[in-house]
Amino acid sequence: MQLTYVEAIRLALEEEMRRDPAVFLLGEDIGVYGGAFKATAGLIDEFGPVRVMDTPLAESALVGAAIGAAYTGMRPVAEFQFMDFIACAYNQIVNFAAKSHYRWQAPVPIVLRGPAGGGVHGGPFHSQNPEMHFVHTPGLKVVEPATAVDAKGLLKSAIRDNNPVIFLEHKFLYRRVKEEVPEGEHLAPLGKARVARPGRDLSVITYGAMVPLALEVADRLAGEGLELEVLDLRTLLPLDVEGMLASARRTSKVLILHEDTRTGGLAGEITALLQEHAYEDLDGPILRLTAADTPVPFSPPLEEAFLPSAARLAEMVKQLARY
Amino acid sequence: MADNDAPNTTPAKPAAEAAEKSVAEKANGGPASSESPAQPVPAASRPAGGARPQRGPRRERPDHRPRRRGPGGGATEPNPARPGARSTPRVTEWFQDLRQERLRFELEEIWDEGKLAYRWTGAITPPPPLVEPRGLSREQCIEIFRWMLLNRALEQQLENLYKQSRVVGGVYFGLGQEGCSVASAYALGPNDWMAPMIRNQGSLLVRGFPARDIMMQYMARADSPTGGKDGTSHFGDLESRHVVAPISMLGDLIPVMAGVCLGERLQGREIAAMTWIGDGGQSTGVFHEGLNLAAVQNLGLVLIVENNLWAYSTPLQKQTRIRDLAIRARAYGIPAMIVDGTDPFQVYQAAHQAIERAHAGGGPTLIEAKLMRMKGHAIHDPAAYVPAAMLEFWRLRDPIARLEIWLKRKSWLDEAAIEEMRRAVESEILAERDAAEASPMPPPERAFEGVYCDGCHDPRPRFLGRGRRRP
Repeated sequence: MQLTYVEAIRLALEEEMRRDPAVFLLGEDIGVYGGAFKATAGLIDEFGPVRVMDTPLAESALVGAAIGAAYTGMRPVAEFQFMDFIACAYNQIVNFAAKSHYRWQAPVPIVLRGPAGGGVHGGPFHSQNPEMHFVHTPGLKVVEPATAVDAKGLLKSAIRDNNPVIFLEHKFLYRRVKEEVPEGEHLAPLGKARVARPGRDLSVITYGAMVPLALEVADRLAGEGLELEVLDLRTLLPLDVEGMLASARRTSKVLILHEDTRTGGLAGEITALLQEHAYEDLDGPILRLTAADTPVPFSPPLEEAFLPSAARLAEMVKQLARY
Repeated sequence: MADNDAPNTTPAKPAAEAAEKSVAEKANGGPASSESPAQPVPAASRPAGGARPQRGPRRERPDHRPRRRGPGGGATEPNPARPGARSTPRVTEWFQDLRQERLRFELEEIWDEGKLAYRWTGAITPPPPLVEPRGLSREQCIEIFRWMLLNRALEQQLENLYKQSRVVGGVYFGLGQEGCSVASAYALGPNDWMAPMIRNQGSLLVRGFPARDIMMQYMARADSPTGGKDGTSHFGDLESRHVVAPISMLGDLIPVMAGVCLGERLQGREIAAMTWIGDGGQSTGVFHEGLNLAAVQNLGLVLIVENNLWAYSTPLQKQTRIRDLAIRARAYGIPAMIVDGTDPFQVYQAAHQAIERAHAGGGPTLIEAKLMRMKGHAIHDPAAYVPAAMLEFWRLRDPIARLEIWLKRKSWLDEAAIEEMRRAVESEILAERDAAEASPMPPPERAFEGVYCDGCHDPRPRFLGRGRRRP
């Protein structure tokens, strides 16, 4: 079935709600309206307003209610209208949900999902990539699919996981990605990276909307005789350390690409892991291409300057390939 | 500081108090104590002193009972067209004030030899007798008394353990609040849920945790309910006692407990979920978010606001401009009650009523319990900022002493029986202490375990598909 990324999200929700009566949805404007991006369109008509619950405009209450319902054995999936607003619920996520199982053995099987990322001129409050706040929080899992197939498979796995999962959907991909998505039981494992494109010369480790960017550059450079491997992380916490090491050992050169800002971004962590475990295997410096250390600017020329570009990626890849 | 609905802002004189009482009784056709506070009267509109002006009939129903709202008392009518579809919950508004006395005192900032201090002025009068318990047998009243004794003895033991350097960190006391902790939790049914705050040691005991669990938490021992990963009252039990562990950030439990009600409702059950908050915690944003969600979704949250007048060192009037915290319930369209938090029977009655409402699908209730934190914020805090006269006033309202006098007057317990009970409680606490101390410190490798649930638990709804049941 040909589905866009956001349709794949919707399908995963629908299938999981049909499969398991413990799964229910809550969020702002997810009911009659079907969600700001229509990820829950029509679900209220099939499952009713108790299992597809519109909440007041209050993100701490949204996450708190999800945690409480999870304590009774339910599997809530809470939608953030934009992932920028997850900051409003930071305390519930970081201090309540993330520490619950460690502190008192009470699992919190919740999914906090919603659109993240830029490239759509959403401005400073509708474009952010908040993953690192949560990657730095033990007890959470952080997931970001790059394809429609993974959007479905990872979301289904996230719903079945017994831990709180931050599920970042890239809004740039919502309707730009359309592909054949398997119906029914298709699961993508959490904590496993995916080789989006095999290659022998150089590894680009990335995730989210940077995966199609990397693939585009890889296709272009293949014509110049440079074979890039593109590794799509899919899960940012816990990281697939083995998958990254295997790719680094295959190509011996690594560039890390992410749309999140630079300082304290995931590239720093991955760099540390690679030099701890694969130092002997590397033939060049580990490079990173990221967004700038600024808020996400609104005006198109400003946002384009802020985000990593295909041209800059190609330039850095060629520079690394010379080692 | 005086209650919002007190007649004036000067310390009450006994004569003025009597006059006010008689006027109020006339206006309401009953004792002033059953009067509902209604809207606060702005200070400027009150007479400069003396008695409360006579008012016409109040808008609230005089018997304070909730209106019946359709079959089963549920707030919403089912929509037969689509299961689960509900009409908008009807707005309910009413207050009940169960108190036998109104608090009248003033707390003001003064300069005392170059230092800023608080001065308390008020009449240090003895409290009225406890109300007659409703729905409690003689045995239950005595049981509540015993839980309160156990609560206090446990905290005294914690203080001893602290002084012997066996406690890791601080100790948080509920001295003066035992009646509220115990009687509120006592009203819960076995299928209801609760989440304590830091001072609700008594609630944990009533809910079935042995005293040793609390001691081991404070001593960070291997066999504590959290295995040494957290301390104090920060523990719970999902499976049998339905207790959610609190976190240190106040207010966050409110939406979580609303969510517990939601999760149970999705399994066809209307339950009560009780939690506590203080005059300080009420200032948080998440208090509002959680209570509003519970109100909109008509969830059976029972929120007990323990107004103990101090949030660490901050007095009530620096926390909020209102004096009756219960009036906030009006803004959420939910019922509220005010009780004397040192009268366990008032607390029980209010909690019981709120729990019954929750079981009937009638939504949340806010109960303000007026009481006083009789020690510092924690054991390190001598609370030098609290005026001595204020403590003197509240010492007369010690909940254990009040209940003890009541039980003796009732001839349900005599001095000898009480002494025997105290001895039994003391020896129980000593045995619990010995058991707690027998537990070793946790092995260091435990620090790295349990960050994730990797199949060690199997969270699933217990009641889905089994039909609607009431607790």
